[in-house]
Amino acid sequence: MSVKELVKDSMDKQTPISELMIQQEMAKNKASREEVWSTMERNLDVMEAAVKRGSEGNGVFSKTGLTGGEAVLLKKYREKGHTLSGDLMMEAVQNAIATNEVNASMGVVCATPTAGSTGTLPGVIFVIKKRLNLDHDQMVRFLFTAGAFGMVIANNAGIAGATGGCQAEVGSASAMGAAAAVEMAGGNAEQSAEALAMAISNLLGLVCDPVAGLVELPCVKRNAIGAGNALISADMALAGLTNKIPADEVISAMDKIGKDLPKALRETGQGGLAATPTGVNMKMRIFGKTVDVGDEN
Amino acid sequence: MSANYRSVFDIIGPVMIGPSSSHTAGAVAIGRAANRIFHAEPTEVVIHYYESFAQTHQGHGTDYAIISGILGFAPDDSRVPDAITIAKKRGIKVTFIEEDGDSPINHPNTAIIELRNADREVTVSGCSIGGGTIEIREIKMDGFDIKPKGPLPILLMQGQADDHHAMSAKLEKLTSINSEATYHAGDGILYEYDLENRLKNQDLDDLAKEHSKLVYL
Repeated sequence: MSVKELVKDSMDKQTPISELMIQQEMAKNKASREEVWSTMERNLDVMEAAVKRGSEGNGVFSKTGLTGGEAVLLKKYREKGHTLSGDLMMEAVQNAIATNEVNASMGVVCATPTAGSTGTLPGVIFVIKKRLNLDHDQMVRFLFTAGAFGMVIANNAGIAGATGGCQAEVGSASAMGAAAAVEMAGGNAEQSAEALAMAISNLLGLVCDPVAGLVELPCVKRNAIGAGNALISADMALAGLTNKIPADEVISAMDKIGKDLPKALRETGQGGLAATPTGVNMKMRIFGKTVDVGDEN
Repeated sequence: MSANYRSVFDIIGPVMIGPSSSHTAGAVAIGRAANRIFHAEPTEVVIHYYESFAQTHQGHGTDYAIISGILGFAPDDSRVPDAITIAKKRGIKVTFIEEDGDSPINHPNTAIIELRNADREVTVSGCSIGGGTIEIREIKMDGFDIKPKGPLPILLMQGQADDHHAMSAKLEKLTSINSEATYHAGDGILYEYDLENRLKNQDLDDLAKEHSKLVYL
């Protein structure tokens, strides 16, 4: 399945992509609509709980002390009412960071599509809920649409940092969020595909360079960018902007870039920010060993 | 060729304990596959890590994840972070080895698990391809050297040609069979079925009633 085929199916049948995804899931897994729907509802509940947990009290902190408490700082900052990029955007950022702080602290999350990129979709969905007054059913539909586009990316390129870099994780999540946000705002499937294409294009080449190999630095804040990029890309598509390079070709470009990335920048914790003096010191402090661990058992 | 990600819940999900879907939830899944293949509690477990798994298993919690899978825990089981302690309390000897070379099954997120007890030894080679989804690319058990294409679900059955014909017919009613393979070890025959969709628990129970020695991954 390509984005082009998915869009054509939706336009031909005059059926939203969320509905096509539900029907496909029912047919493939011989499941009832209720089963499929309630599983997605549970995933939504997990996302909502993580956002809430990361923003309450002093927030959550990882065992290593590398990340934590910053969603709460954003919440307090927003309360003063002087954000530069607007309250909605900073709420999206807060929700994304809250979710990834919970993930880094070994809390329960719903991987969308991965745990490293778990904050991006919650960053998008809960602010457009407010902005567009989405009801519960529409939020569940958002996740089916996001999942439909995510499946295309995962099957035609990939969603693992170790094979494709962070572009495959946060880039994919951001594209899924952008495409689903367009559907919720009343855009058609073609506009969703444009939003997806723009969102991925904007993050192409993003490397996976976790400090000490941990899903903390810079992963947590990259989800903030993933969420912001999704909202911006969705707005651009709804305004009629197009990516010019079609979504399927963008996905293919991402796949090729991932294969061209050196191993040091594909989730080995050996390049990029992980290899900076500060990154190396953090690893020494946490694990008592240097970045090049190849010869140790 | 059939796609690796076949359900929307491979993308929106799994619900899991952080921090990494490939290195934590995927590692639990590889461990669970080993658990199903071994089908007993081992006395010794040796895990060989390659490439990204070798470099970052500590940071990602891959160790406790893979052991929790071997113990049969689900990815969102609250006992996942304590799995190594639990295994040691049960008297299981656990060794982790960071291998230098490239993955023998050609993926950066590779774990090769050896499980043994007094009666039996098996080796399972798995890789975590992203978002918690895994592939199993080699299994050594009961004298068989099984090399699946990778994507799950996979059903393994030890039996004779009659069993195979009966099983094929039953499976065709439940899903489509993407590929089949036959392996020999002495007089024994093992059939591998790569399936398109996951089987429902009830269907699997029905199959298990009529065919012993099934392994469903």
